[in-house]
Amino acid sequence: MRKYFQIFKTHWQSSFIYRLNFIMWRVRTILQFFGVYFLWLAIFIGQDSVFDYSKSVMLTYVIGTAILRSFVFSSRSVSVGVEIANGDLNNYLVKPLSYLKNWLARDLADKLLNIIFLTVELFLIVLIIKPPIVAPISFSHLAIFFFAVILAMMMYFLFSFLISSFTFWYPEHNGWPLRFFIFMIIEFLAGGLFPLDILPAVAFKIFRFLPPAYLVFYPIQIYLGRLDFSQIVSTILIMLAWLLVLYKLSRIVWKKGLKIYGAYGR
Amino acid sequence: MKIFKRLKIYWLYWLKHSSMSFQTLIATRLASVLFMSGKLIRFFFFFWFLLILKTRLTLVRGYSFDQLIIFFLVFNLFDLISQFFFRGIYWFRQEIIFGTFDFKLVKPISPLFNALTKHTDFLDLPILILVIIMLIIKIPTITPLGLFSFALLSLASLLTITAIHIIVASIGVITTEVDHTIWIFRDLASMGRMPVDIYIDFIRTFLTFVVPIALIFTIPAKALFGLLSLKVIIFSLIASVFIYSLSLLFWRHALTKYSSASS
Repeated sequence: MRKYFQIFKTHWQSSFIYRLNFIMWRVRTILQFFGVYFLWLAIFIGQDSVFDYSKSVMLTYVIGTAILRSFVFSSRSVSVGVEIANGDLNNYLVKPLSYLKNWLARDLADKLLNIIFLTVELFLIVLIIKPPIVAPISFSHLAIFFFAVILAMMMYFLFSFLISSFTFWYPEHNGWPLRFFIFMIIEFLAGGLFPLDILPAVAFKIFRFLPPAYLVFYPIQIYLGRLDFSQIVSTILIMLAWLLVLYKLSRIVWKKGLKIYGAYGR
Repeated sequence: MKIFKRLKIYWLYWLKHSSMSFQTLIATRLASVLFMSGKLIRFFFFFWFLLILKTRLTLVRGYSFDQLIIFFLVFNLFDLISQFFFRGIYWFRQEIIFGTFDFKLVKPISPLFNALTKHTDFLDLPILILVIIMLIIKIPTITPLGLFSFALLSLASLLTITAIHIIVASIGVITTEVDHTIWIFRDLASMGRMPVDIYIDFIRTFLTFVVPIALIFTIPAKALFGLLSLKVIIFSLIASVFIYSLSLLFWRHALTKYSSASS
């Protein structure tokens, strides 16, 4: 455990080397949030309710989405593909550590940094635009929301690791093309631009069972109190099931990938 | 005559670079298919979102959803054109930090032209064609005057987009930072998917006078609906020429700061 804590610390420190890079990334995150927030604000002009969402609930959803995206989708495991493609993976294979845990430690350091910045940004945003934020309906909802967020972060980490693992078979552009393609789908199916339940019923019935819906959409639905007890339980159970599937799948793909790994580029 | 000869050289130079960009795409076919599919998905999901909104709402700040779809298509038109021609900017940072930009400075071709157009992104071409077809189908009955002002303002839009890319390249020469700057512009530009009028005053002012998103995307689209006065058209044309001239001055200034690091 101690060695992973050291990796966490090292990565935390290295994040401050490229400060401008990180700050620019945060600026972009805020701009993306503004784009969606002000679009919804405009849609609600002259409307009390759209798609069974009141203005305050929808804007809270948008803010919640921005917050969750910041640390669920912040992941360094994109570099796994780079290390596979250029052969740097060799350095890890000969060391007495788990490659998956190594990246989990780096991911957590990155998420912590994002959370700290996010807290400051959120304070400023609330101060400037004074959004109508809806509070969770009970403490238990808030607690389950936090639990769902942790599950979502783990799900995304494994998902991201899984996608990067396909670089073993297709190392072109460090595995970035597949990641780009999948991320374009995730962006929307996670509910980043709009809540998924505004989709036509048939589409929602399909998308609600796919992993992206549990990364952002469902955790915020729990926070907003839009799910009853049985729905919350089924949501958490589905998340746990996806977590297990993603873990098993990432292990299988990783092991198969290692067998064909040629350490090209070294 | 001399200018035509010069233009021909640039045309051949661009063709050569474009053909090389195309060959790279062919060499990595699966990657190209994945990138193109990702771009198409992004386009269709947002389009779908607008269609979903249309089922429940009639107007957003006075604009009908059919009009908003036109705004979205016009946004894509100019955004994709800039991606298609100016993809080179995404590689420019490397030239600056490795010092290979030196080689471009001694060649008898404008280093700025090279920096911006060195890569042509053919992956944007299918969506660009699709957008043009959709625009032709979706476009409302348009008067010859409307079409003329759209054509005129499209030139202003393209001139402004070029200016923005020149400014980003100049910032790159001075600070070695390019990638984030261009992405910040693109994040801001994404607010141009909708007319800037729908946003609150502060954002609208920012997107009109600080970063000219309105000039690039909203104003040409408005011309299609005949929503512009002559004063706005003239102001937009003058503004685009002014911004373009400023960007060239800034570029010249940036070149004096080039340190040729790592070369």
